[in-house]
Amino acid sequence: MKTRVKLTFPQNLIKEPVLFTMAKKFDIMPNIRRARVTETAGEIVLELEGSEENMNSGIEYMKQQGVAIELVEGDILE
Amino acid sequence: MGFVRGLKCRECGREYPVDPIYVCEFCFGPLEVVYDYDGIKKVLTKEKILSRPQNLWRYKELLPIDGEPTVGLHSGFTPLVRAKKLAEHLGMKELYIKDDTVTHPTLSFKDRVVAVALSKAKEFGFDTVACASTGNLAHSVSAHGAAAGLKRYIFIPATLEQSKIVASLAYGPNLIAVDGNYDDVNRLCSEVANKHNWAFVNINIRPFYAEGSKTQGYEIIEQLGWKTPDAVVVPCASGSLLTKIWKSFKEMKEIGIIDNVNTKVFSAQATGCSPIVAAIKEGTDVIRPVKPDTIAKSLAIGNPADGYYATQVIKETGGFGADVSDAEIIDAIKLLAETEGIFAETAGGVTLASAMKLIDSGHISKGDVTVLCITGNGLKTKEAIEGHTGEPHHIDPNLKSFEEVLKKITSA
Repeated sequence: MKTRVKLTFPQNLIKEPVLFTMAKKFDIMPNIRRARVTETAGEIVLELEGSEENMNSGIEYMKQQGVAIELVEGDILE
Repeated sequence: MGFVRGLKCRECGREYPVDPIYVCEFCFGPLEVVYDYDGIKKVLTKEKILSRPQNLWRYKELLPIDGEPTVGLHSGFTPLVRAKKLAEHLGMKELYIKDDTVTHPTLSFKDRVVAVALSKAKEFGFDTVACASTGNLAHSVSAHGAAAGLKRYIFIPATLEQSKIVASLAYGPNLIAVDGNYDDVNRLCSEVANKHNWAFVNINIRPFYAEGSKTQGYEIIEQLGWKTPDAVVVPCASGSLLTKIWKSFKEMKEIGIIDNVNTKVFSAQATGCSPIVAAIKEGTDVIRPVKPDTIAKSLAIGNPADGYYATQVIKETGGFGADVSDAEIIDAIKLLAETEGIFAETAGGVTLASAMKLIDSGHISKGDVTVLCITGNGLKTKEAIEGHTGEPHHIDPNLKSFEEVLKKITSA
């Protein structure tokens, strides 16, 4: 499956290879479309591809590391 | 024929034809409707606008439809109320309420965006519309969709208050109550929108839907006597309304209906869900998603799609933002009702309470011609102020009992 997400990294994680580690550990292929790093945070907009089970585990792993993971379209419920 | 040139990615600028799409295939940036303003300038004049019925379609050349509008023919053109008593209370010279508490047919500004979204959905040939909502949007899609003869799927969190469920069910949509938290509903609806060929108003129809918000800005200009205010305070959920009001001001200048725009745009949010205002206060344009915790449910969007763009408008115009507590929201709802006779939903309380802070801090000057965007009716969230109002005076059904109470009231 493929999913489009926005990752927001807090300052303390900007220098950490969280995305690479997740991709390797859970066999997920990231395809980065947009990225931005400021003094206080980092943002990556990307597509993730992998099995549903691995995707769920990978996303959970990044959440546990402190990365905020959201849909690229923002919250739909309004 | 309309005046839409196409869709354009707000991030990379790639252009797309007019289709029910919402995100750039390359950079996943949001798509925005672009117009042929030179063409609009030739046909849309003040006189033409004034000659048309008083609804949001009087600015139809600036809206993303090709033919004649088919939905929401009575929506929009709500009063711009000169709030003299409230202005006096706040020490302001000239204060106005853009009163969308009386928008037809479901008493919130969502009737504007849904009118445009469903008119466009019909042009695209959809027979089914959908949305994910905790209230106002559900009511509007249910109502407008019923009148337009469209099949409707409305997704709500199963934990939603019964009063809001009933208000949607009255129009006979397919109401899908999802057992899950808000994130679950967001994720599910994104998947549903990708699978089913429906007009999901705030997903694949979003670029068109969002344009409906501009009508609030056009009306403010017209009702102020063809000028923009010095300051406008806008409640922010996704941030879309704020960016579209600013777009509407710039468009009116672009097509020559007004000569200049010198407006500061201000964002109002509840402290329990203030990712946009937090970014403004920190001086950053990185929006950090939050988990909402506020009584202002209609503004409870923790991951605002247009948050970044809202911060850019605020920066560009020299505006600012304020956030307010639940108690401040309740006090402001009551103040607006007691001074101007306008009973707003919780988002209205957020707007007024935030404006008061911005006036106190000097971000809005007391001499500024200021407009507060009040976006929904208090009858929709009356539980928010239950227990915070006065009590009725109970009497026996005789004159003596009434006179006793009257004496107490007048001597108080």
